[in-house]
Amino acid sequence: MIRTENLTKVYRMGEVEVQALRDVNLEIQDGEFIAIAGPSGSGKSTLLNMMGCLDKPTSGAIFIDDIDTGMLSENKLAEIRREKIGFIFQQFNLIHTLNALENVALPMFFAGVGRETRLKRAEELLAKVGLEDRVDHKPSELSGGEQQRMAIARALSNDPEIIIGDEPTGNVDTEAGNVIMDILEGLNREGRTIIVVTHDAEIAARAGRTKRMRDGKVLD
Amino acid sequence: MGDVFSLVYRNIRERKGRSVLTILGITVGIGAVIALISIGYGMQESITAELIEMADVIMVTPMSMEFGSFGAFGSFTDRDLEAVKRIGGVKEAVAMRGVTEDIEYRGETFRVEVVGIEPRDMGAVFGETVKLEEGGDDGGGTTGRELRDNDHKACEIGYSIAYDYFSDEIGVNDRLTINGSKFRVVGVLEKQGGFRSDVDSQIYVTTRDAMTILDNDDISIIFVRVRNIADAEEIAAEIEERIDDNHKLDDFTSAMTMGSAVEQLEFIFGTIQVVLLAITSISLIVASLVIMNTMLMSVMERTHEIGVMKAIGAKNRNILSLFLLEVGVVSAIGGVFGCIFGVIGAHAMSFGLQTALDVEIAAIVKPEVLLGGVAVAMLVGVLSGLYPARKASKMSPVEAVRYE
Repeated sequence: MIRTENLTKVYRMGEVEVQALRDVNLEIQDGEFIAIAGPSGSGKSTLLNMMGCLDKPTSGAIFIDDIDTGMLSENKLAEIRREKIGFIFQQFNLIHTLNALENVALPMFFAGVGRETRLKRAEELLAKVGLEDRVDHKPSELSGGEQQRMAIARALSNDPEIIIGDEPTGNVDTEAGNVIMDILEGLNREGRTIIVVTHDAEIAARAGRTKRMRDGKVLD
Repeated sequence: MGDVFSLVYRNIRERKGRSVLTILGITVGIGAVIALISIGYGMQESITAELIEMADVIMVTPMSMEFGSFGAFGSFTDRDLEAVKRIGGVKEAVAMRGVTEDIEYRGETFRVEVVGIEPRDMGAVFGETVKLEEGGDDGGGTTGRELRDNDHKACEIGYSIAYDYFSDEIGVNDRLTINGSKFRVVGVLEKQGGFRSDVDSQIYVTTRDAMTILDNDDISIIFVRVRNIADAEEIAAEIEERIDDNHKLDDFTSAMTMGSAVEQLEFIFGTIQVVLLAITSISLIVASLVIMNTMLMSVMERTHEIGVMKAIGAKNRNILSLFLLEVGVVSAIGGVFGCIFGVIGAHAMSFGLQTALDVEIAAIVKPEVLLGGVAVAMLVGVLSGLYPARKASKMSPVEAVRYE
């Protein structure tokens, strides 16, 4: 379960202070598929970064499975990202020097999984997202949709409970976007919590619940 | 580890041009150090090898003598020579009467060291190390002959005297004027070089001629050979004591065994090598700066990638070790190339010294120096990479991911 308590984030851009999040209170249950929608600058990516343990709040708190992540060291946060969370980015963010198999195996390497095991599992995960015949391909040799599927396989690498997608379909065509959503729905059916940021109403409609954000606040 | 190495390998290849330049920087630094060390060992070896051949020798001089030159701090007497000969364990003691004289040949004059010695003693002094030059003007065989006891106004000349000093070469039966008297050359000594290069610039006459014609009674060196090398130090001490007693002086005599000469030389060469190494280390410092610069650029370029790796679970130390591994691999490659170029460089220097200066110094490449070279390369690399790698590892994931 993810729970925020008066979560507030303030960025300093030189002289200017930007209130990215203002007193956000939100609860996401295990196994939920939630979409967070809103215009750009509404703070949804900031919220996602907080829930993904990439960033710490300025004030307030965010709990992941009742752990106050604001109190954790950088190393502990890295561990949570590694074990509990799978990230999917709009820009895919694959390592372009590595092929599909190696990209997918990378989080397992950071987790200290043995080479044999991680390569075998990476292969299985690529098959799961329909990329079994792209194992040796570099990201640049694949289409946007395929790259995003590779990124999903990578997100699944350490079998996380939570998948976080920041506009996961934002950079692919509608058809590929639907495939990605199908995969995410499948993962949700496996019991994983899926949190997706989007400003695409159609995508948001496929989630179990949608929260709207504006000016750093969660509406409703 | 396999895929990490492949990640590291691909990162190195990805920035091929820059990696090559970094490797080159290390190669030059390590190569220079290895070349200098190897030539230094060669230098040391060539000189100490000669000295070790003469391990049974004690050189007795008035005051501490500098290598190869006869001291100008007083002299010994025949009484001293007799005293030395009486010391137990002394096999031979030879008196040499050296004095610098004007030598004139075909209108040219040089000041040269003329040494008076008993012809029969020359073997004791030079052993097999000084030979009459092979071949020569008389076509085959030796150039002339050795001095004999009954020679009068005859001399044997060093190689440089024969070929280098005067415009015209001096051969057997040519006549030189030494301090106004004509001497006939009976033999030309073989080229010595190295530690014994002083012999090349000397002229040898009989003791009788030295005393009567050149009016030189003073013994400048007593050359001693001992029966047992193990006793050399002890005998040297006794020689100093006896001669000092004769002259009623303290510390008048210096009796140096070749063993202690070797030690001294080794110390001198050690010092020279340290100085050379210090100078060469500058190239290592430059290499280190090159690495640091390259790594910093690389870290900046890969900010986004670092952010992604952190987002998918990399800890700071994962990032740190990734960058250190990368710089370690690059430096190890540089180190290996440095060894190769160092060895080539050392042999090239050896060849250069031989052709340009006619000095024979074989480069001595020690395996431990090569291993050390690679180790130093990696150490320099990792130390220089530490700051950039730490910088990379400390990046905030959210900012790094956002960085394009």
